[in-house]
Amino acid sequence: MDPHIAFRDVTVAYGTKIALRNISLEIPRNQIFGIIGPANSGKTTFLKCINRMIDFALGATVEGQVLVGKEDVFRTRNVYQLRRRIGMVFPLPVGLPLTVYDNVAYAPRMAGLTNRGELDGLVETCLRQAALWDEVKDRLQQLGTKLSGGQQQRLTIARALSHRPEILCLDEFSIAVDPVTTMKIEDVLIDLKQKMTIVLVTNLVQQAHRLADQIAFLNGSRLVEVGPSDTIFSEHPASQMTFDYVRGNFG
Amino acid sequence: MPEPSGRTLLYAISATGSDEEGDGTLERPFQSLERATSAVLALHRDEATGQLRTLTGTHGFDLVCVGTPANRRSVSKERRFSYYVDPELVGADGDGSERAPWADLEGALTAIVGIHREQGSNGLTPGERIHLRVHGLFAGGAIERRKQLVERVASAVLAVVTALIVLPLVAILAYLVAKAWPVLSADFLFQNPQTYMTSGGIWAPLVGTFYFVFISLAIAAPIGVLAGVYLNEYASENWLTRLVNLAVLNLAGVPSIVHALFGVGAFVLFAGLGRSVLAASCTLAVMTLPVIITSTREALAAVPFAFREACWNMGASRWQTIRTIVLPNAISGILTGVILQVSRAAGETAPILFTGAVFYVAVPDQGLASFFPYALNDRAMALSYHLFAISTQVTGVSEGLQYGTAVVLIGLVVSVNLISIIFRVYLRSRKKW
Repeated sequence: MDPHIAFRDVTVAYGTKIALRNISLEIPRNQIFGIIGPANSGKTTFLKCINRMIDFALGATVEGQVLVGKEDVFRTRNVYQLRRRIGMVFPLPVGLPLTVYDNVAYAPRMAGLTNRGELDGLVETCLRQAALWDEVKDRLQQLGTKLSGGQQQRLTIARALSHRPEILCLDEFSIAVDPVTTMKIEDVLIDLKQKMTIVLVTNLVQQAHRLADQIAFLNGSRLVEVGPSDTIFSEHPASQMTFDYVRGNFG
Repeated sequence: MPEPSGRTLLYAISATGSDEEGDGTLERPFQSLERATSAVLALHRDEATGQLRTLTGTHGFDLVCVGTPANRRSVSKERRFSYYVDPELVGADGDGSERAPWADLEGALTAIVGIHREQGSNGLTPGERIHLRVHGLFAGGAIERRKQLVERVASAVLAVVTALIVLPLVAILAYLVAKAWPVLSADFLFQNPQTYMTSGGIWAPLVGTFYFVFISLAIAAPIGVLAGVYLNEYASENWLTRLVNLAVLNLAGVPSIVHALFGVGAFVLFAGLGRSVLAASCTLAVMTLPVIITSTREALAAVPFAFREACWNMGASRWQTIRTIVLPNAISGILTGVILQVSRAAGETAPILFTGAVFYVAVPDQGLASFFPYALNDRAMALSYHLFAISTQVTGVSEGLQYGTAVVLIGLVVSVNLISIIFRVYLRSRKKW
C-alpha cells in the first residue's frame, strides 16, 4: 500500500542552522507513527513540514519533497485545503478567545459548515474524543481561554479533530495533562487509528512504546533509525544510539 | 525590665553602679557585659523548651554602657558596634557582620563578650553601645530597610510628579470656566455670532468643527485602519514596508502648518476642490492618518501571535483569521486610537486656516437647516479659528465670549477623550485572555 506521508531527502534550515538533514522516511496509513529524540533534534520541524506551518518560520528554507498522499505539499495549490486534511496539536495549549463551543466549531465554520445541528454533533464528538466533554458540557458558552491548562490542551486536541483530518499530528500532547487523562486520550488515539494516520512526537519513550506501530529516532537533525516499535525497543535495534536513548543512558 | 527603644530592647550596663545586680534598666544597670549577656539569654529562653523565643515585632537588643546609672545623656552620644544574628541561617556561622551573620543568639552573645573583653572592665566604656540585630521572622536587615526607604521615596516622588501633571489641567479648566461663567448658557451654544461677532453665540463655528472632524475621520479612519491591518498582518519585512513605516513615522512628526500648505497645494489647487469643507477635511485626514495607522498596528500586535498560528493550523486563511480572531480582539484599541484623533482634528487651526475655514459666514440658526448649514464645497466656520478671530482680530469682543468659546472647545476635546477612556475600560473588562 502507498505510504500516507513520505519524506524524500528533506533538508530544513533556519538561516544557517540546519534543523533536519536529508530525512527520508515513509509513514503508512492507519498507523501511529512515533517520533522520539532529544531536544533540538528536529521533531517539531518535522511536523511543521507536513502541514507547511514551516512557511511562517522566518528564514526557513526547505529542500526535498514532502508527500501527503501523492501530493507534494510544497507544490500544492491550496495550502488551506492541505491544512484542513491535517490536525495539528502543539505542546503549548492555545485556547482561542472564543467560547468552548466556538473553539471547536471554528475550523468547520471556516470550511463552510453552518448547519447548527451538524455543528452541535461534531462539537460533542470531538470533545468526547479529547476526553473533555464531561468537564465542559455544562459550560460550552464559557470562554475557552478560561479553562485550565490541561483542559485547554484537550481543547486543542478537540479542535484538531474538528475538521475531520486524515492525519493527526501530536507534538507532546501530554505535557500539560494529568496521567489519568493522558491514558484516556491514548485509548482514543488507538481507536482513531482506524480512521486516520497519527504522527506522535513525544519525549515520553514509554508512551511511544505503548502507542506507536513504527518509531523514528531523530538525533541532532539526522534520522538515526526508523523501524517497528518492537525492533526499536528490542535488545538489538540497528543503532547502539537508539538502544541507549530508549533506556535513558544517552549521552 | 528592658526598655523599648524604637524597635529594639534596651539594656543598660554600668561598672560604677550600685553593688547589687541590676535588671538592665537605666536606673539599675547590669554590672558588666558578661552579666548583661547571660541575663539576656535567661530572659529570652523559653523555660519549657530551652529554645530562645522569636522576637516578634522587634529587631534585636541594644546593650548600652552608661557612665553612671540613669545618665541618659551618654546613651544618646554613643559609639555603636553593630552585630547581626540570623536564626534562620542555614550553614556556616559568620563573623557577626551584616553579610555574614551568626547563626544563633547564644553563640553570638558569647562571641560579643569575647570581642569586647579587652575594651574595659565591663567590656564596654561609657558611651558605647552594642547593637545586636536579630533577623526574626518579621525584622529585616539594613538592605531591606534601605529598599523599603527607596520604595517609599520613589512612590512619593512619582505621586508628586503625577499630581503636577494634573494640576495645570485643573487650573486651566477652573480659570477658563470662571472667566466664561457669565456667558455660558444654552443660548450661547445655539445662537449664531451676531453684530460683527461681538455678541451672540457660537453655533455656526461649533457645527463647522463637527463637520471638519467627522468628514476628516470618515476619510482617515477607513484608510488608516486598512493600511494598519495590511502593514501588521500581511506585509512581509522588506525595503518597501520599511519605507512605508518610515513615511508613517515622519508624517506623524510633520508640523500642522506644513500639512496646511500641503493641503493648499494638493486639495485646494491641484485637486481643484477650492477652499472648502472638503479640502480642509482632506488636509485634516492626512494629518491624522499616521497616528491612526500606528495605533491600529499597535492594537493588532497586542493580539498574541499564537492565536493566529492556531487558526492557520486549522486551515483558516489569513483573512478569516483576521476577521474572526484578530480584529474582534483589537477593535477596542483601534477605536480608541481613532477617537483620540477627534480631539486632534477639533483643536487644530493651522491645517484648516488656508484650506476651508472662514472668518465669518451667516448661516441659518433656526430649524433643521441650522444643523446642516454648510455644503461640502462651502467654506465653514470652526471653533478653533473662531476663537483666534474673536481674540485677536475683532475689537470689542467681551472677555466672556472669548473664554466661553475656549471652554466649549476644550470641553469638546475633554469629553471625547473621556468617552474613549470609558470605552477602553469597558472593553478591557471584557478581555478574553
